[in-house]
Amino acid sequence: MKNSSKSIAAGLLGLAAVIMGICIGSVMISLSDTFSIITAKLTGGSISQSVDASLVSILWEIRIPRALSAFFVGGALAVSGAVMQSILQNPLASSYTLGVSSGASLGAAIVIVCGFSSSILGFLLLPVVGFTCGLSTVFLVILIASKLDSGFKNHTIILFGMVFSLFVNAALTMLSALNQSHMQRLILWQMGTFSGKRWHHVAILSVFCILGTIAVTFYSRELDLLTFGDEEAMAVGVDTKRAKITLLVLASLLTGISVCFTGVIGFIDLTVPHITRRIFGSSHKYVIPLSMIIGGSFMVIADLLARTILAPQEIPVGAITALIGAPFFLYVYFKKR
Amino acid sequence: MTNNPLNSANNIISLSHVTAGYDKTPVLQDISFDIAEGHCVSLLGSNGCGKTTLLRTIAGMLPFSGDIHINGKSINAMKRKEIASYVAFLSQISSVYFSYSVYETVMQGRYLHKGLFFEKNRSDREIVDETLESLGLSQIAGKQITALSGGQLQRVMLARCIAQRCPILMLDEPMNHLDLKIQAEFMEYLANWRTTTLTMPDNKAYKPTVIGVFHDLNTAAGIADDIAFLKDGRLVLFAPKKGALTAERLSEVFDFDVVSYIKSHNYEFT
Repeated sequence: MKNSSKSIAAGLLGLAAVIMGICIGSVMISLSDTFSIITAKLTGGSISQSVDASLVSILWEIRIPRALSAFFVGGALAVSGAVMQSILQNPLASSYTLGVSSGASLGAAIVIVCGFSSSILGFLLLPVVGFTCGLSTVFLVILIASKLDSGFKNHTIILFGMVFSLFVNAALTMLSALNQSHMQRLILWQMGTFSGKRWHHVAILSVFCILGTIAVTFYSRELDLLTFGDEEAMAVGVDTKRAKITLLVLASLLTGISVCFTGVIGFIDLTVPHITRRIFGSSHKYVIPLSMIIGGSFMVIADLLARTILAPQEIPVGAITALIGAPFFLYVYFKKR
Repeated sequence: MTNNPLNSANNIISLSHVTAGYDKTPVLQDISFDIAEGHCVSLLGSNGCGKTTLLRTIAGMLPFSGDIHINGKSINAMKRKEIASYVAFLSQISSVYFSYSVYETVMQGRYLHKGLFFEKNRSDREIVDETLESLGLSQIAGKQITALSGGQLQRVMLARCIAQRCPILMLDEPMNHLDLKIQAEFMEYLANWRTTTLTMPDNKAYKPTVIGVFHDLNTAAGIADDIAFLKDGRLVLFAPKKGALTAERLSEVFDFDVVSYIKSHNYEFT
């Protein structure tokens, strides 16, 4: 099959995943109801009398924002994972390699421990502080790595990212140990969830995810070249240091915005890029946009399972991504192309 | 310092008092020489004497002090892309992490010549096809590079350099992983390529210049016009090969009696 038809298939899969995420749940909503509600909402028309009014608010206020948030977070994480793996030339690199999640978690912990989070301001403060601290950690890693190593080599970046993550995590452990009363909230925040996502979350997430993916796609050729190593990329004319810093910042923005709204959800950033490369080859003009679609679909399905299989109990979505992701990943990776 | 006797107007590369290295430890010290356009230079010296570092420095990949001019322009004043339009660099690549087809890999050599996005224009495609054909890679154009042998990968990377269409080609141990037949083909290809002329974007035609590190002394001596001898990061001699390759000098540079070793190890094939 050609890559163009495979891309269309992936797009349809994504659409199907989102529709499933919207329709399935503790209250099942039929496809026809779903479509009539969506068309009515989008066109401003009236909804037919046969549709229960509670369904309308479940669908429009809860399910759709939740499914779309999951889609954009999954997409953003997968794209940033693909970027990290390619520029660091390391198949084990992930969105969190440079310490975004540790930094964001520490920021969130400080907000929670200080007690700001219960006020109305706190709801805003938590993501903003998380985002700022996550990005600051990355900038610090990039700054120190580029100061100490003028060649800005990959192992320096990875090593600094890991050392910084561990350092920040240690600070976080100390903070939680000293404030045990807040620990549970912090753990819940870190586990990641899509519950309570509203349209304003969708708006912010979609803008970052779509613009970020487009910006990264413009760097497809540089990404292709960087997978061969810095020297090889330089030899054909890539300004490697500049390209790497730009891409690391873009990838960190994508991860940062995801972490600050939904907590730390692993596995998608690591596996989806590999799955995408298996299906579409390594060329980044395919890998980047399709990682977004596949990552998004995967996250919507994972969230669907998280809230349905043990309903009414909800399982952390991060556990689901790993539980279904690991075997699925092994299957795709070892199956012959 | 020994300078090339040719008129300096023909010097495509000139180095004066270049000191370079990694993280402030100098590997190369006070190197000066000029390379005439169209010449082939072999760098000779024992392991760790700075041959690869010298290639990287001339290609503008390492910080250095002193002056390096390519085609009369200081490389400090050149952008990465401008350097890459003059210099193609075949480095020692041992493994690739992500898979591309042979065709895609060679097309990467056209990076500079393509527009903002990834649309390939016709001349790029023609150049890539032609390069694949001339290096005998057309049959495997659709193959993934992770499935290639070391020798095939090396040829693909050479094709990528050739597709770059630069007047200067730097080769760092290009014969690694190549079997004898391919080595012979490679040398023949290189000899042929050197008889061509390359037209740069400035519309000037250049005779191809080669700077190479060759593991095998015979190859190094056979292809070169000039030899640069390096020892412990310093230039011992830069001179036309005739008269430069004496047993005494080789012993000095390699720290052992190279010529007796080669003679005593010549197997008599029947």
